[in-house]
Amino acid sequence: MRTMNKKKRIPGKKYPIDRTFVVPALVIVAVATQAPFLLSIIFSLLRWNIVRPDQGITFAGLQNFIYYLADSEFYIICLQTVGIIGASLIICMVLGYLIALMLDSDIPGKTLSRTLILSPFFIMTTTTGVLWKTTILNTNYGWVGKLSDMLNIDVVDFVSFYPRQTLVFLFVWQWMPFFVLVLLGGLQGIPGEVLERANLDGCSWFEMVFKIKLPMIFNHMQVALLLGFIFLMKEFGLILTTTNGGPGQKSYTLTFYIYKALFSGSNVGRAATLSVLTVIGMLIIINLIQKAIKIRRRKL
Amino acid sequence: MKKVVIQRDARSKKAAAKKEVRRWIIGILVLIFALFYFFPILYMILSGFKTEAEAAVPSLLFHPTLVTWKKVLSDASMINYLTNTVYHVVFGTLLCLVIGIPATYALVFAKFKKEGHGESYYNWFVTTILLPPVAVLIPLYIIFQQLNLNHVRGGLLFLYVGFHLPICIWLLHSFFKDVPEEVVEAAKIDGCSSAALIWRIIIPLTKTGIMTAGLLVAVFIWNEFFLGYNLTTNATATLPVYMARFGQQQGQFIAQLSASASISCIPPLIFGWISQKSLIKGLTAGAVKG
Repeated sequence: MRTMNKKKRIPGKKYPIDRTFVVPALVIVAVATQAPFLLSIIFSLLRWNIVRPDQGITFAGLQNFIYYLADSEFYIICLQTVGIIGASLIICMVLGYLIALMLDSDIPGKTLSRTLILSPFFIMTTTTGVLWKTTILNTNYGWVGKLSDMLNIDVVDFVSFYPRQTLVFLFVWQWMPFFVLVLLGGLQGIPGEVLERANLDGCSWFEMVFKIKLPMIFNHMQVALLLGFIFLMKEFGLILTTTNGGPGQKSYTLTFYIYKALFSGSNVGRAATLSVLTVIGMLIIINLIQKAIKIRRRKL
Repeated sequence: MKKVVIQRDARSKKAAAKKEVRRWIIGILVLIFALFYFFPILYMILSGFKTEAEAAVPSLLFHPTLVTWKKVLSDASMINYLTNTVYHVVFGTLLCLVIGIPATYALVFAKFKKEGHGESYYNWFVTTILLPPVAVLIPLYIIFQQLNLNHVRGGLLFLYVGFHLPICIWLLHSFFKDVPEEVVEAAKIDGCSSAALIWRIIIPLTKTGIMTAGLLVAVFIWNEFFLGYNLTTNATATLPVYMARFGQQQGQFIAQLSASASISCIPPLIFGWISQKSLIKGLTAGAVKG
């Protein structure tokens, strides 16, 4: 009540009440995201197994971190994650830019093409996984089986024999539309005069695409790359529904590894350690990307 | 003299015709690519209208029936998952907008104690987007177990609001910045309260932005899987969880699977199709300026 009175006495003077509007959002976001992350950091210092309550929860110091940093399995999965996500990002970027260029030019039927190409972005990842696995890639009931029958070649079970390649392919299918969406926005934002001028100066198609349009949408590429990286790091449903990490651990990413550490290993401390390590790794990579971009920009 | 002009005219006409042909060829090629790209979704929608026996053989020719759809829609567990998802999408999106709009308004227009504080709060919101859900899963899982929050919908709803508010604010920010400051100041001088100002001036001026943010948040919540999968029980699980379990347990009932998948995809697809144009604008505006 007193604060209300205060506000009435000095309406909009030095500190207008407007800024209190941000408080609910701040509190909710902090409680939902920051507080649990702090707990993750604390958990990472504990020795804690949920299925063995008799052992109790003890302080472990940095032992969990040392365990992973000395474990070759951890490095293998890190490399795998970088490989799968890096390959997906590069393909998404190149293909996305080409398709955005096509959809930006004046061609018949481009609204329909755009609608169709953007569609996978709006579909849930678990549906993507289940759909591709059963109706397309299945060797008996899917189109892969039918096509190899028609062409008289041996049918290939992509999910079991090429798990990582399949994952990259599906990641690209799901997330390339997002790159198209952002890059298309960039291309449409290039002022018409620039392109007209370039045309009058006798720019070839190649020069137009790589020397004029590409530098002008550099910001958009950066945003697409960073967000794409974050989206792909989060990816879990697709892996669970298609390869389920297998065979063995061949298609694990870090996200999947943490999930397994928690639910198969039941080891809270170790799983929390992994998640803290993942966040540190992501921050390093994001910083590297941004540094590379800055260096490039200075050159331009 | 005349001859030359005519000749040149003919040549340019020929060039124009050539260009026109090229335009059509590229257009058709892109469309064919788009159709292939879309094919899994198309085939899913079609297979929903097959019987199980027909669906076991991949083919585009069949007699459409509603048998499978009836079966899927009369499945009580499916309806339960669907209501859970709709609950999260409706309340999650509404709460995000109700909390996000005033917050963004404050970030953009309010005077903070120190110059630039609004900007740093905004930056903080944006960096929380970078936090992957795995980083918070473990404490949340334990808290949800201890407090039995996975038996009620409210717990997950709170998380969804918390995780999607930053995205909402991030998108709204650039649209709010386009509102001229003079308009806001004039309204304040006329004695307009902040609430009225938001309701009468800001919201009508930023309708497209609010639509974009709302639709994108709705699509994201509809599709959210990781938290939904780990923090729910059978009674509170959402559609993505249902799809994942369906794939694991009954993967061979292709017609039934396709119909369920259609239910899980069609609403966000329609949202996406409606909003694609404003998304292209809104996403890049929010992304590049911020």
